[in-house]
Amino acid sequence: MKTSTRARILEIIRSQSGTRPADLVKTLALTPQAVHRHLRTLLAEGRLERRGGGPKVRYFIAGKPQLEQVRAWYGAESKPAENPPDLICETRDAFAGRLPRLTLTGLGQDDQSLAIAAVGEIGNNSFDHNLGKWRDTPGCWYQIQSTGGRLWICIADRGQGILKSLARVDSTIRDDQTALVTAFEKILSGRAPERRGNGLKYVRNIITGKDRRGLACRSGAGLVDYGKLGAECKEELADFPKSEGTVTLITWSLK
Amino acid sequence: MKIPLNKYGQILTSRPAGREAALAMKATVNPADDETVELDFEGVLSIGPSWLDEVLSSLRAEFGRDRVICLPTKNPSVIESLRVVDAHPPHSE
Repeated sequence: MKTSTRARILEIIRSQSGTRPADLVKTLALTPQAVHRHLRTLLAEGRLERRGGGPKVRYFIAGKPQLEQVRAWYGAESKPAENPPDLICETRDAFAGRLPRLTLTGLGQDDQSLAIAAVGEIGNNSFDHNLGKWRDTPGCWYQIQSTGGRLWICIADRGQGILKSLARVDSTIRDDQTALVTAFEKILSGRAPERRGNGLKYVRNIITGKDRRGLACRSGAGLVDYGKLGAECKEELADFPKSEGTVTLITWSLK
Repeated sequence: MKIPLNKYGQILTSRPAGREAALAMKATVNPADDETVELDFEGVLSIGPSWLDEVLSSLRAEFGRDRVICLPTKNPSVIESLRVVDAHPPHSE
């Protein structure tokens, strides 16, 4: 009985973006004491993480990023109802202003230097390739989470996607997967005739430079991953909708 | 002639910011004909290749490729950026 209740608690928490004990009390029709007892056990087993304090405390699955919110935002068929101002950078300046948040995450100085440069390239790409072409919401989603000794950094946009950007300059690129691989592995820029196209190669070099890093990127039906931890990022993005736009998930070990 | 890049910020990313920095540099840097222009990365936390490419391309076009020098640094973002920018120079003919 207890085991199945705990399994149900894990299932509820997995499906949400952080769960409050009061929500579990209501959903499971248990007493607050019983819910807290189960939560204590799951915390002790290392299956849950607690974040926040007092009435704002929420429980999360340990070691996994919470991506439900960005998945809903990225995949919304029309203009998303929710645009959390602390996660959406409507302008390039807003994004640049939030980049230094990576210095507060526990990364060493060399890792900070590389992570900021890589995330900067990806976030700036959102603006470089979508100015005047946003589907409905300008800017990019930028979220940093720390869980299980890892940083998880998610950057997403509701722009035109990589295929449309690259097919404009190379008509042989006809599908999302080819466009993504080209973007990360070949020198070609959707901003031609401007001479660009190095940014994502640089990001790939950084991610594959050490074992403790990984990246996955989805755009439309395309999905690629790089680095030793890339498969874990890919798994997280696998069930994201095949929307236009681009979403990138980076993981970086803090150990 | 040395240009301390930390005067342009600790975090230097994006092409528009690089372009702006290059214009500011060209407006204030006035080396003698036989003088080199040295980029000093001391005090910079992170540089992206887009920013550096804009600055290097602009300064090299103005002063000549051989006169623009990147001073040695242990900053890994600079080392990686130079590797990409100089290996695949998108601005060179």
